[in-house]
Amino acid sequence: MKRPPMLMHVKIRGERRGFGLWLPIFLLLPLALAAFIILSPLILIAILVFWPRGWRKRALHIFGAAFEVFNSMRGLKVDIQGDHHCIYISAV
Amino acid sequence: MAENKKRVLEMLAQNKISTDEAYRLLSVLESEGSTSEGTAKAGTAAKMKSKYLRVCILSGSEHEHGGKGDRVNIRVPMALIRSGMKFTSLLPPEARDKVTGALREKGIDFDMRNLKPEDMDELLEALSDLEVDVAGSDGETVKVFVE
Repeated sequence: MKRPPMLMHVKIRGERRGFGLWLPIFLLLPLALAAFIILSPLILIAILVFWPRGWRKRALHIFGAAFEVFNSMRGLKVDIQGDHHCIYISAV
Repeated sequence: MAENKKRVLEMLAQNKISTDEAYRLLSVLESEGSTSEGTAKAGTAAKMKSKYLRVCILSGSEHEHGGKGDRVNIRVPMALIRSGMKFTSLLPPEARDKVTGALREKGIDFDMRNLKPEDMDELLEALSDLEVDVAGSDGETVKVFVE
């Protein structure tokens, strides 16, 4: 199983100001899980609403695929640097 | 390979070569076969090892002014591309038709319905051999490769 990214480094610099941020994803995961548990009744209702339309399977697959995309993000690096701007995103 | 072995056996049956010679020829053919198989396996393993798709773009001014200028350096994990491609199968049929229509308008005759998971694996494996290296007259360079 793929390990999800633990940290995300985001650095954005404009002409005048900029900021850098280390996002501890491993701390956000328990919060996301808590949010999922809280929202689970709404998710259940949504599944029941979409059941006759045949969207249930698709919705479940989307959740699975989104989780897989998130898990595959480790190693992603986007580094764009110009004369006056800089965008740096890295998933560790 | 099988044809060569058959030919050796035919030669043995016609008494053109002795049993020892046939044995030697067959063992040579077998060792050659295992070597080529090993090379193919090593090639596949190397392809499977490729982990990232890299896109590097350097503007011309960077070379001229020593480190100044636009620079793009993107590293995308192959696993992310693989997972992202799975999303295409989750597209609703209406959206898929729209994408196919839009591609056809641009002159690309590609139907997304024909894209199967096994094709994706093959496509990603083929991507391991990809290497794009473009050098502009102004010193701009664009490199796309898999590492």
